[in-house]
Amino acid sequence: MPILLLPSTNFKFFPPKLKCVDMKLDTSGLESTSPFFGSGDELCPELSAAPSFSLPLSTDFDEFQKDTKATLKHAKGTTTLAFIFKEGVMVAADSRASMGGYISSQSVKKIIEINPYMLGTMAGGAADCQFWHRNLGIKCRLHELANKRRISVTGASKLLANILYSYRGMGLSVGTMIAGWDETGPGLYYVDSEGGRLKGTRFSVGSGSPYAYGVLDSGYKFDMSVEEAAELARRAIYHATFRDAASGGVASVYYVGPNGWKKLSGDDVGELHYHYYPVTPSTVEQEMAEVAGA
Amino acid sequence: MTKQHPAWSPYDNNGGTCVAIAGADYCVTAADTRMSTGYSILSRDYSKIIKLADKCVMASSGFQADVKALQKLLAARHLIYQHQHNKQMSCPAMGQLLSNTLYYKRFFPYYSFNVLGGLDNEGKGCVYTYDAVGSYERVGYSSQGSGSTLIMPFLDNQLKSPSPLLLPAQDAVTPLSEAEAVDLVKTCFASATERDIYTGDKLEIVVLNKDGIHREYMELRKD
Amino acid sequence: MLLRPLSWVQLQLGVVLAVEKRINSPLLEPSSVEKIKEIDEHIGCAMSGLIADARTLVEHARVETQNHRFSYGEPMTVESTTQALCDLVLRFGEGDEESMSRPFGVSLLIAGSDENGPSLYYTDPSGTFWQCNAKAIGSGSEGADSSLQEQYNKDLTLQEAETIALSILKQVMEEKATPNNVHIARVAPTYHLYTPSEVEAVINRPMSIRRKSSLKILPWLQRCFFSSLQCKCTSLFVC
Repeated sequence: MPILLLPSTNFKFFPPKLKCVDMKLDTSGLESTSPFFGSGDELCPELSAAPSFSLPLSTDFDEFQKDTKATLKHAKGTTTLAFIFKEGVMVAADSRASMGGYISSQSVKKIIEINPYMLGTMAGGAADCQFWHRNLGIKCRLHELANKRRISVTGASKLLANILYSYRGMGLSVGTMIAGWDETGPGLYYVDSEGGRLKGTRFSVGSGSPYAYGVLDSGYKFDMSVEEAAELARRAIYHATFRDAASGGVASVYYVGPNGWKKLSGDDVGELHYHYYPVTPSTVEQEMAEVAGA
Repeated sequence: MTKQHPAWSPYDNNGGTCVAIAGADYCVTAADTRMSTGYSILSRDYSKIIKLADKCVMASSGFQADVKALQKLLAARHLIYQHQHNKQMSCPAMGQLLSNTLYYKRFFPYYSFNVLGGLDNEGKGCVYTYDAVGSYERVGYSSQGSGSTLIMPFLDNQLKSPSPLLLPAQDAVTPLSEAEAVDLVKTCFASATERDIYTGDKLEIVVLNKDGIHREYMELRKD
Repeated sequence: MLLRPLSWVQLQLGVVLAVEKRINSPLLEPSSVEKIKEIDEHIGCAMSGLIADARTLVEHARVETQNHRFSYGEPMTVESTTQALCDLVLRFGEGDEESMSRPFGVSLLIAGSDENGPSLYYTDPSGTFWQCNAKAIGSGSEGADSSLQEQYNKDLTLQEAETIALSILKQVMEEKATPNNVHIARVAPTYHLYTPSEVEAVINRPMSIRRKSSLKILPWLQRCFFSSLQCKCTSLFVC
């Protein structure tokens, strides 16, 4: 394909007047008010301190998004789960990222530490999750500074859901669980890029979630110790990585209790397999023996 | 009646391969210097590596027009940072900035696949690897671009270290000396050149360590 | 309103901020008067002047520091934060309807700890800032400043710094120091605002340094008298 393109019938352009379509990034309470790089009508809008999302000049935004999605193949494919039990919330995830059939990483941190009392999980587009969770993290921090108390899980999940809803239909791909401990005790919400937000006690998200749900639902009780719950979470992730090709790597298990979150374990699922299915030396039924006198 | 227009496609892939390896006190970043489009080779001597800060270099493959725009934007951001904060940007800071910069083009991405190599605040080698829209991860070694699917499995085989997610944690720095790492990079590019049409001509290697930065070159196949 | 923030730097260990808050009426809820605020976990700020203006500035600084963390994944240095504040201070009268019509009538002591160690900055309503080893602002600041000059040295421990800061504050206070009318915070290396019981512990701590300096209390009171007059003048100008 040639690099130099002439604006022929092949290409649709907006009239020049509309060329610079900038959409403001929702960074309410984030915008720098540095006097040197202020309003948007300067030479290089990317350098302005208040960042914004630039949009393509194409008249067919949806078609363009579909094409870029096909050419760029963002990292995806996941198993994540979280559930509330007697002692708090247990959160677990695998660590594989794949682009189509290629494994682009086996060490993705899919459990994002929003603050010492709150975790988010990552399913869908890796960049979308990473960016908006970090954005959520600083919003929570500003809330904490302004109100001298930590934000509730309810509040944080609503902040995220509202942001994602404002970008609905633009192709963001996020399926996340916000788990934490606040003044009301343990909290767990499922939030996705379609605008959904559900409160619940048991969720699993990602391509491996059907397998994880199978293990989770059969083994779940409210009355569990931290050790039992951690083992259930680990087992559910392991079985999902076993059946779902897009999940794998390391099964990380986090626990959120009254004193904040703590990482309980991180196990290579390749080794976990032999933990769940130990190789027993097979009994030798027949042994080749030298024939005497041959 | 209405003519079917092909979709608006502002992108091209100029190919090329980048590799970065982090060591205990050094970082090796390398890329070939071929730039192509389709089956045509446009240039045999096009550098894909740019020095962004004293202890930070970026190697990028993909669409070189987008890469150029990205490089210029980062250079400008770094200049502003130096004026505002009276210091060079650290490699981890540049890593975060690159992620954000890529994400701000989420709906009209830079078609560029980047690896960032450098030294962190403790002087340890660090490598950050990205997708086109800014998801990133700190790793011990990485490869991006057209030859990455050939090189990555080889690096995994030679260098794979315990995952940073394991608990109890294990140190994940590449157990190679600087000279060994440079040799390894040369080997994997020589191999990738054998099987990837977009990789070849010349290899540019940038080594960062406590003494500073130096570049070296190795000829690759030109066919 | 008369305020007496006072601060102390200890070069290896951290920074201590001490402030008198005037409780004008017994009906006033002491916890609602805030003269020391957290900007980020590594920066705290004490204020003197129009507290409402300081709130705007502190909110701005909080956004700036969080924004910096978001952009670069690292804490903002204390100097850059101070610079960002002074940029805002200097921006009155610019632009259209949104901008301030008057300067901010507040001085700040910005105490923080970053990669260069602990540091203390002082900003005034003009938008100028200075880095100090120790600094007092507000009414009675001149007397307190010269006392700081006498007592400051780089090898103080954090505990000594607390006691010296408090003893100097006491000398310029008209009332007796209590956990209700004194606020102390430290940044060493993270911000911590002392609880009333922690403040009480500092007040009750016997100190030899305090006794030594209390001999000079008479010239102090004279100097304080003048400086508080000056401070009143400054406030008038600002309003």
